[in-house]
Amino acid sequence: MSGRTAGAPPAVPPALGAEPEVEWPRRTARTLANGLRVVLVESRTFPKVSLELLIRSGNAAVALEQPALAEMTATVVRTGTATRSSRQIEEELRRMGAELGTSAGADSSAIAASGLAEFAGRLLDLVLDLAQNAAFPPDELERERRQRLEELRIERATPGFLAGERLRRALFGGHPYAVVAPREADVAGCRREDLVRFYRAHYTPANAILLAVGDFDSARMMEEIEKRFAAWQGAAPPPPETEAPPPGHGRRVHLVHLPGSVQAELRAGNVTITRGHPDWMPLAVGNAVLGGAFHSRLVMNIREQKGYSYSPRSAVHALRQHGYFSVQAAVRSDVVAATLAEILYETDRLRALPVEEAELDDTRNYLSGVFSLGIATQDGLLGQLATVCLHDLPDDYLETYRARVREVTAAAVLAAARRWLDSPNLQLVLCGDRREIEEQAALFGDLEVFDAEGRRID
Amino acid sequence: MSELRLPVETEKLENGLRVVVSPDHSAPVVTVGVYYNIGFRLEPEGRSGFAHLFEHMMFQGSARAGKMMHIKLVNSAGGVLNGSTRYDVTNYFEAVPANALERVLWLEADRMRALEVTEENLRNQRDVVKEEVRVNVLNQPYGGFPWLDLPPVAYRRWANAHNFYGEFADLDAATVDDVRAFFRTYYAPNNAVLVIVGHADPAAALALARRHFGDIPAGPAPPPADVAEPPQTEERRGEVLERYGALPAMAIGYHAPARRTPDWYALALADQALHGGRAGRVHRRLVQERQMAVDTAGGIHYPLGDVFDYNGPTLLVTRILHKPEISSEATLAAYDEIIAELHEQGLAAAELEAVKVKFRSDYISALESGMGGYLPRFGLMHYLACFTLFDGDPALVNSLLDGFLAVTPEQVRAAAQKYLVPRNRAVVLRRPAPAGGGR
Repeated sequence: MSGRTAGAPPAVPPALGAEPEVEWPRRTARTLANGLRVVLVESRTFPKVSLELLIRSGNAAVALEQPALAEMTATVVRTGTATRSSRQIEEELRRMGAELGTSAGADSSAIAASGLAEFAGRLLDLVLDLAQNAAFPPDELERERRQRLEELRIERATPGFLAGERLRRALFGGHPYAVVAPREADVAGCRREDLVRFYRAHYTPANAILLAVGDFDSARMMEEIEKRFAAWQGAAPPPPETEAPPPGHGRRVHLVHLPGSVQAELRAGNVTITRGHPDWMPLAVGNAVLGGAFHSRLVMNIREQKGYSYSPRSAVHALRQHGYFSVQAAVRSDVVAATLAEILYETDRLRALPVEEAELDDTRNYLSGVFSLGIATQDGLLGQLATVCLHDLPDDYLETYRARVREVTAAAVLAAARRWLDSPNLQLVLCGDRREIEEQAALFGDLEVFDAEGRRID
Repeated sequence: MSELRLPVETEKLENGLRVVVSPDHSAPVVTVGVYYNIGFRLEPEGRSGFAHLFEHMMFQGSARAGKMMHIKLVNSAGGVLNGSTRYDVTNYFEAVPANALERVLWLEADRMRALEVTEENLRNQRDVVKEEVRVNVLNQPYGGFPWLDLPPVAYRRWANAHNFYGEFADLDAATVDDVRAFFRTYYAPNNAVLVIVGHADPAAALALARRHFGDIPAGPAPPPADVAEPPQTEERRGEVLERYGALPAMAIGYHAPARRTPDWYALALADQALHGGRAGRVHRRLVQERQMAVDTAGGIHYPLGDVFDYNGPTLLVTRILHKPEISSEATLAAYDEIIAELHEQGLAAAELEAVKVKFRSDYISALESGMGGYLPRFGLMHYLACFTLFDGDPALVNSLLDGFLAVTPEQVRAAAQKYLVPRNRAVVLRRPAPAGGGR
């Protein structure tokens, strides 16, 4: 506290105090004899426990043959086991005050549960039962199949979904990452034996990670887990073999036509790198400058100056095999060209000129500080642990992250932006009413037009 | 008995600002919230959407921090921030490393003391809000359903019934003078609470609050507002168009009891029994057993809040998307059977016990979590603020659960019989556009 007039608040923002030491909670980790990787972290402020069983196989494992299979397996896995019906599972969850969710992403599937810490043992029992003895009841499969079909239809009327899907298609060509959602025929064609086969091949301890964050004693929790999960058997499936995504072939424009749209959803992107790449951190910092924070160039320009969009932003996504960069904004139809011009301007500016030290410092502080916020909740910790485990990052990744952010220089950001924000080969995607936006879209490159099902209609 | 013993310290400054501190030293972060006791219910008639537009303006500059400086100074301190406008409060909150607490207090005090509004910034944020309404409501399947569709049918007072995201004509009509007047009327320290949770020493935090907020003069008490609804005597019905999705939908909203009345505790448990996850009766019957519906959800004050954060007329809502081959009449009839069973049999003792366990767990989870992990202790901050503004007692955060855990099966049944009746409800059907129209 510096000297100032007693009672008068300062005229300028107070300086920040000394940065607090951030100590990541200790991880207790073990790989069981059956290959299951277990990582535990204590979080004892509230009597709650959060579990996540991650399966290292997701949509990409089946995208080219049976696109619906991984997600349908995840959906149906919770609807019955050898000894529990769906209703019994749901009522048991409620008696434990627990929530359960199952899902499949590109590279992994998950069974996630959270509830009162006093019931942690019973929650583990249930998660194990789902992982080991899922029954895939035929009537549940049929019901979930219809659900998924209806969901798909709604997705195909949702502009943000369609824009994101078209971007992945444009970037990944014949690679499984190009497939974000199945077709209706894929969902209709999933047979129970396909789900069972996928489950037996992929939901195995050697292919899984069990994370637990919560109000428990780590040693005792590890015992409880080993007691239960040690008997689970199964080898890891063979690692996926995939081709490389197509190389850049010029800036192209992809328009998904949704008649009646009152906005256009814009995407711009290109394939980049994964977390293990030495350029990852400078690229992540550059992305934060561009559009990864509220106070970022895209927001200042497109939202705060021009008022074109509510939530423009950019991201670098690291999937396991490849990464990609994307910018997104939902804008009124009459400013589509103007917004694309600004997106290209800001992307090119990041490649043209080094970021000045003050702006870079602010951004490094942002990434560093926000990362430390993650330790204050069970969800935040789980997310960080999942990233480390799924991307096979070093054990001390959490502890060293902030130092690595801080050592990123303007020169490194510039080099990474020039190398990985591939402006000349950026793929541009628009989803909106072609009558309102096609002429503007065609200003930026060769144009292809699609309908909501993904068929060419130009 | 719940065993929550979260530390809560409160003080009121001379200018009427209430300050609530709940220390938690498990991580070196603090979450700060300033809640003003004004939401969109009380925005001026003819200015729908104004309170939310005003919320945007609070980020557009104050006497000592220009446009976007608030956001820049929070982000560059390593933190995140946001705000939201709701029926009965507007909140502004930040989560930052603990060394940034004073900076955040300085920023919040500066805009409480002296918001600065320009024509250009108002024009800009009006454009931004319109894009927000388009992206969240106008351009989405089932956008705004049911939270914009139910109020105009369920309520008779403009305060409760209007489109609080804003008719574009009303947004266009808002002026800089309107913004200044709204600020003077509602954004006074005596109409607000400052909540600090996390790695902060209460005495030091209080001293900081005094230093930064102490000089802000109290304002006149905001005008008293009566938003009570006239009694409803028969069911209300409405119909709206779904432009993009193919599934018919419906929403049912029953007028809910006022907070902290005996009926409130009991109906909250009926609500949990109806809407709590896949064990909830609505999901189990309509989605699982009879397979009429594809998606169901609901709750008291759903979807904009929960049973704890309202302070005026609100609804117990059920939202249903059903298969097109099932008629809306048949779906509503099936729903009414669920309600009738609750009237006739109530909840068995074992079911009520399970519902209570889930209710307690949901409450603890709300306190612990933070919007997906990036805004730690948002729930705790939120409840402390609401219990201060609405009930005058932030310590309720530790004791309020007891009332729910003491509810009996008879009380649940009686509350269902009293509130879950057609003459106390509104039903809105959302019908898909005929094939060939829309997308």
